[in-house]
Amino acid sequence: QLPYKPVLTQKPPVEGVTTASTFVLDQPRCVFQNYSNADIWLVVALEQAASTFNNTAKPGTPETAFQGFPDPVHAYMTLNTTLVNYPCTNPDGRIMVLRVGSETSCAKDVTRPNCNGPLPGPGPYRVKFLALEGSVPVAETDWSVPIMLRTAKTPSSISTAGSGHSAGMIAIATILSILFAILLAGLVAMLVFWSSDSCGGSSTFSKPESVSVRRYNTHHVYDQPAARL
Amino acid sequence: MAKSDDCVHILQSLLIFGNVVIGMCGIALTAECIYFVSSPHGLYPLLKATENSDIDAAAWIGIFVGLALFALSILGIIGVIKVSKTLLLVYIILMLITFAFETASCITAATHQDSLTPEPFLKQMLEKYQKSDPANNSDNEVTKAWDEVMIKNRCCGVLGPSDWQEYTSAFRSTHNDADYPWPRTCCALDAQGHPVNLDGCKLGVAKYCNIKGCYDAISGPKNRHAWGVAWFGFAILCWTFCVLLGTMFYWSVIED
Repeated sequence: QLPYKPVLTQKPPVEGVTTASTFVLDQPRCVFQNYSNADIWLVVALEQAASTFNNTAKPGTPETAFQGFPDPVHAYMTLNTTLVNYPCTNPDGRIMVLRVGSETSCAKDVTRPNCNGPLPGPGPYRVKFLALEGSVPVAETDWSVPIMLRTAKTPSSISTAGSGHSAGMIAIATILSILFAILLAGLVAMLVFWSSDSCGGSSTFSKPESVSVRRYNTHHVYDQPAARL
Repeated sequence: MAKSDDCVHILQSLLIFGNVVIGMCGIALTAECIYFVSSPHGLYPLLKATENSDIDAAAWIGIFVGLALFALSILGIIGVIKVSKTLLLVYIILMLITFAFETASCITAATHQDSLTPEPFLKQMLEKYQKSDPANNSDNEVTKAWDEVMIKNRCCGVLGPSDWQEYTSAFRSTHNDADYPWPRTCCALDAQGHPVNLDGCKLGVAKYCNIKGCYDAISGPKNRHAWGVAWFGFAILCWTFCVLLGTMFYWSVIED
């Protein structure tokens, strides 16, 4: 039992980490170092069947064939490889992932029971890696957390109704209406003022100025001669 | 008396300055709206299905309002210099009418911005892209238009490649999910039009697959112009409001 848990790829982030029928796992690097002679298999199981999976199950038999998944086969074995393909170092910096469900050509081909075919439903599924020497299980990892795939909604669920009015639009409309109302009120006030003006209301406004000036001058001139005398 | 004379002179120069600014802004508004109306927006037939033509009406109104503002600002300057009550009254009334029209244009432009959402494009793309039986030609056009958009702008879907994962589509009914999580046009393509790295594209690696959505490329320019028409018009109207208030006050103070 190795203390490694298979995980969905987080680094580098890939857009298709889960799709409707595939998912992407990190490769189990530096995990099976002591088992250079073993075949490393990926076991994909329905979540409820994970606890009842027997490690002595042989790959390539109808009991573990992909074509029988999910019924009557509850867990299948695929992606057979050796330690050579999971080296510890990654000098090229290449993307090293496992895409579960990428082989569509053999999905219905019963002569290929180890097919890495597309998953038939959204899951949830659990996976683990199993190392077999001959047909003897020598090492296994932990089961992964349950993996859910994506389910698609129908396009008719997209609502194309308008999204309502944004704050900006309401602000514009309100402020402009208020400004326009103020201007209209000002115009009305102006016209009222003008019409009352032309009817003779305050047209005497300009007159008192000239009268007071004359009086002031007369007063001033009248005083001077009196002072001299 | 001297003091009130000074005040009147200051008010006069302020009003003239205000009118000059209005005149210049009027020209700028006309230019902006002409640019908006003449810019190519019929590029993609997929816009036609979802196009809202209100924004064009707002732009046309903006052109005439801009010219009217320019002409009225000249009238205003003449009226202020000549200290003529009738000229200024005509100016105020015509300015109010222009103000009303520009208000309508601003509100229309602002509302248009709200109505432009990704949903109609998303629905159209999912329902029509690569529809297997092109009974009518428009579906074929939609497919061609989307391919053109996706290749030219290096984008995929409306919001991203996950559009094809989150919703069923006409495309999905003819292409299985494992081989075609999203269309091949979403892949980074070489000079011959073949995907550079098909496995990388199917995984969704950023280098081999376009992971940004096309919504910005489709609606971005139109949206920005609508924003410009709405808010520039709003700014002009606020300034015009101040100038008109000053003019009304000036009108009530002068003697004819």
